[in-house]
Amino acid sequence: MIEHLLDLTVSAFLLAGLYATMAYGLGLIYGVLRVVNLNHGGMIMAGAYAAWWAHDQFGLDPYLSIPIILVLAFLVGVLTYAGLVRRLPRGAAGGVQSLLLLFGVWLILRNAAYLVFSGNDQTVLTSYSTKALPFLGAQISVNRLAVFGVALVTLGALHLFLTRTYVGKAIRAVAQNPESCTLAGVPVQRIYMLTFGLGTALASLAGALATGLYAFNPGFGATELLKSFVVVVLGGLGSVAGTAVAALILALVENFSILVIPSYLTSAVGFVLLVLVLVLRPGGLFGQRVLG
Amino acid sequence: MRSLNLLFALLFAQAAPAADKIVIGATLPLTGSESRIGGFYKEGYDLAFEEANKKGGLDVGGKKMRAELLLLDDTSAQATAASLADRLINSDKVQFLLGTYSSHLVEAQSVVAEQSGIPYVNGGGGAIDIYKRGFKWLFGLLAPVQNLSGALMEWIDSQEKAGKLPKPSRVAVLWENTAHGKDFRQGVQDFVGKHRGDYLIEVDESFELNGKDFGALLGKVKNARVDLFLADAHLPDYITMQRQYATMGLCHKVQSYGARGSEKQAAEALGKENVKYILSSVWWNAQLGKAGITKHFVDLFKARYGRAPEWYQAVAYETARALFLGIEQAGSLDHEKVREKLAALQVESILPGGKLSFPAQSGQQAIYPFVVQQNQPDGSSPIVWPKESAASPGVAPNPDCK
Repeated sequence: MIEHLLDLTVSAFLLAGLYATMAYGLGLIYGVLRVVNLNHGGMIMAGAYAAWWAHDQFGLDPYLSIPIILVLAFLVGVLTYAGLVRRLPRGAAGGVQSLLLLFGVWLILRNAAYLVFSGNDQTVLTSYSTKALPFLGAQISVNRLAVFGVALVTLGALHLFLTRTYVGKAIRAVAQNPESCTLAGVPVQRIYMLTFGLGTALASLAGALATGLYAFNPGFGATELLKSFVVVVLGGLGSVAGTAVAALILALVENFSILVIPSYLTSAVGFVLLVLVLVLRPGGLFGQRVLG
Repeated sequence: MRSLNLLFALLFAQAAPAADKIVIGATLPLTGSESRIGGFYKEGYDLAFEEANKKGGLDVGGKKMRAELLLLDDTSAQATAASLADRLINSDKVQFLLGTYSSHLVEAQSVVAEQSGIPYVNGGGGAIDIYKRGFKWLFGLLAPVQNLSGALMEWIDSQEKAGKLPKPSRVAVLWENTAHGKDFRQGVQDFVGKHRGDYLIEVDESFELNGKDFGALLGKVKNARVDLFLADAHLPDYITMQRQYATMGLCHKVQSYGARGSEKQAAEALGKENVKYILSSVWWNAQLGKAGITKHFVDLFKARYGRAPEWYQAVAYETARALFLGIEQAGSLDHEKVREKLAALQVESILPGGKLSFPAQSGQQAIYPFVVQQNQPDGSSPIVWPKESAASPGVAPNPDCK
């Protein structure tokens, strides 16, 4: 039994890595722009296809293609902001419009993928796809370990970026009070654009990482968006460290729930958790914090 | 008024099918999670229509009529499958319907056909609940999924009796939470119930269709230290689960994913090494095509597509052929007459057992034996059961397990 509990714990930690990576971008964009980016799911799917395409066409390892994908996705995010999101009213006034607009972008992206890649499931097979490392009697997938590592690096990099750089500090300031930032000479629109680009790039990072774990098709991203949403709300909107901890809580609850409920209900546990948090602690487990 | 009449006349002329052709409607999951299999079914349908039309069409009461397939994409979604069936019947005015693929889609779509009183022949729904509703217009070519797991258990039992597997064998049954999965589980439970003392079900768990993480579930299986790993999964879940299975270093004396296992795509996604010795129980296998109409189908398919057919294309081809035979035997396009002929159909078939009928006692779901195949290290998947069709005795226990 102890061995089983250890397995579940290790599996939860590794799963949390992917959940956190999926949610960082969504949380960042909401925290700063107060826009729920429904195209987050579309960019996760696009990131997966980009990694698969690079592997299929040029034999490029999905992890090596990540820097290129990040740059391209960042540009897509910047263009999406400049061309579409910038025209929306900020805050609650733009809520419905932004939901509809970004949902529309997601639909376009999804249908474009159907057109170009067909609806077939795609997978990436590398020399280490099914390799594992022994750890306290359990076998840990190299891929899942790598995803966990990337999640930790991303968390650290985001934290340093938001707390140690001028742009990062500006992002946090704009998240706190955009009007005062304008008075202080912070280029708010540019900060919004950079944040949207960064959030979009993080979504594509999650997609690229997922190629090593799952089969995917143009419908990929929908479940991931919902999970990201649960993680972001659970952690407290706008809190990067909270997002990481919330991802771990969600993964632990999902994994350990198999001890008491049927396996097919485990993904519903997250949504029950979401409802409980929204009712009992609307600001998330870690409150409505400023980024970083 | 005159122009209005003309407009109505034009609209009417568009809606009514031409007298020299039969328009048969169908939907398939050409996009979405089942798109790959949907594409295979399309190949089977296309081949059957091409073959019929090469002969000048269907013989309907002495008159040759071309068969035309009006195929729509139901995107693997239940609601879309039902609404498109409604569109085919009421807007496109198709005369008959061929079914989509996957039990949950057939379940929803068959309701529309029943309400409209139009013969609905499908080769994509194997769950017995679909046929327990007493539907009059529904005909199914996929034999019950319970028989699928029953056939697997028969081969396993032969290995246990030969002393190759422990007695009792400890079993893990993992089933997707769908009608298909429930029937699979029922088949295993029924068999175990009849062979008390020979098998012990240690893990009995269901999982969500199109799941993303099976780590906790596989951890439970690992902890139970079972001998037989019997899962029922669709292709994407099979790939995801088997990838995690391999990385967790699991190995069981016998392993199966129900009807999945031998797919080329799975071997490409997982590597040949990781699909070795997986058993699959299927509705048809090209190795059955050594003579007669089965050989004719295999040759025809190879000539058209340049590769051997899998069970998906074979069942789809036979589904269309069954409807054609019903129409020809009725000698009419009258729905009731065709339905009566389908209900009474007794014909030679490419399906295992060589006969096709839709027995009333099984709710007009065809009943025939399954074939069990096993992946070998060389990439082949010979039939291992039933004995009379077997090309290989099969391997048990898995020699790779330490």
